[in-house]
Amino acid sequence: MRDLSKKRILFFGGKGGVGKTTCASAMALAASKEGKRVLLVSTDPAHSTSDIFEKPFDREEREVYPGLMGIELDADFEARRYVDSVKTHIAKLFSPSILKEAERQIELASTMPGVEEVALFDRMSDLIVDRMDAYDLIIFDTAPTGHTLRLLRMPELMSSWIEALSKRRRTLLTLNQNIDKVRLNPEQEDIERDPILATLERRKEKLDQVRARLMQHNFTGFMLVLIPERLPIEESARAAQMLREFNVNICGIVVNRVLPDNLDGAFYQARRQQEQVYRDEISRRFAEYSLMWIPQFETDVYGLKNLERISRMMRA
Amino acid sequence: MSWAEIRQNIGEFFHGMAMAGYEKRLRQQFMELNDLFMLLCFMELVGLPNPATIYLLEVYPYFLEEFHVWHRRMGMDHSPLGNLPCC
Repeated sequence: MRDLSKKRILFFGGKGGVGKTTCASAMALAASKEGKRVLLVSTDPAHSTSDIFEKPFDREEREVYPGLMGIELDADFEARRYVDSVKTHIAKLFSPSILKEAERQIELASTMPGVEEVALFDRMSDLIVDRMDAYDLIIFDTAPTGHTLRLLRMPELMSSWIEALSKRRRTLLTLNQNIDKVRLNPEQEDIERDPILATLERRKEKLDQVRARLMQHNFTGFMLVLIPERLPIEESARAAQMLREFNVNICGIVVNRVLPDNLDGAFYQARRQQEQVYRDEISRRFAEYSLMWIPQFETDVYGLKNLERISRMMRA
Repeated sequence: MSWAEIRQNIGEFFHGMAMAGYEKRLRQQFMELNDLFMLLCFMELVGLPNPATIYLLEVYPYFLEEFHVWHRRMGMDHSPLGNLPCC
């Protein structure tokens, strides 16, 4: 786990219910106890970080534990905020008659499917690009696997889409310039000053920045969380495959809820024996990654006491 | 009118004769590409998914301005499109 401490961004992902939030929180706590400035970001629509820390999280960064900052992202709210920020931005630039129509159209567009997801991603990008100076480590507790993988691919998709648009815009403007030339018009418009092109290129630049950071192996890492059971193993193997395809670094596998060795009773022994099969399978299939085994506790993990326990194990 | 002016006018006249067809084709191409660009930016208005919708929101008013200029240029005081009321 040594290379883990050098990472600036960590994603925790895995199948629903395997304890992503617990592991992400424990890791955040562990890093913060080492004296790092840590931000724990929950992007799962079903937030449970506040239950674990027994403290309300907010849509803005706030202290959730001495020295540890936390934030719960809300897609609806981020979409709303994004739309409002666009409105204030354009309010300075246009005449009231245009504004009225534009705002109507913006309201309409903001109800389109997919907008929340993009707004959520946009907020994550802000954190990844603009807030890295304030923190040594940002930990993202993500929604179940599929959702997260889509989110990680977003910059690539968006950036190529926007690039295609800005290329077309550039062609248009060049054409327009040529028309001016043919007409011997001395006042030729400067292509770089076109507001539409400028907006598109600013967007693309930011997306590329995010993408570069996500794919930089010594900057960003992905932690896969699973439990020793059939379905989580299969899903994690698929996720690992896809992450490799996206060129995202997998910096560790957390095997959560492993039965302790010192159990008595025929029932536990039988369970333990079955689990051993899965344990072996995990060791074999994920041999190239560093594995972290977290035992199952006698009680559920919620509240600070158990969290601190796991966090100590992660530091070890 | 001085000789210089006459020569310039004649020059511009021949330039126009030679280039008018070319300019027309350029303009046509420009309009076609512009339509395509607009369509790509506002695909969801015709029911196609557009991944970048939200990123284009801030660009939208500029298009409205272009649209306004366009319908005025076409000699229409009011927007000819019901679903895009301008003025």
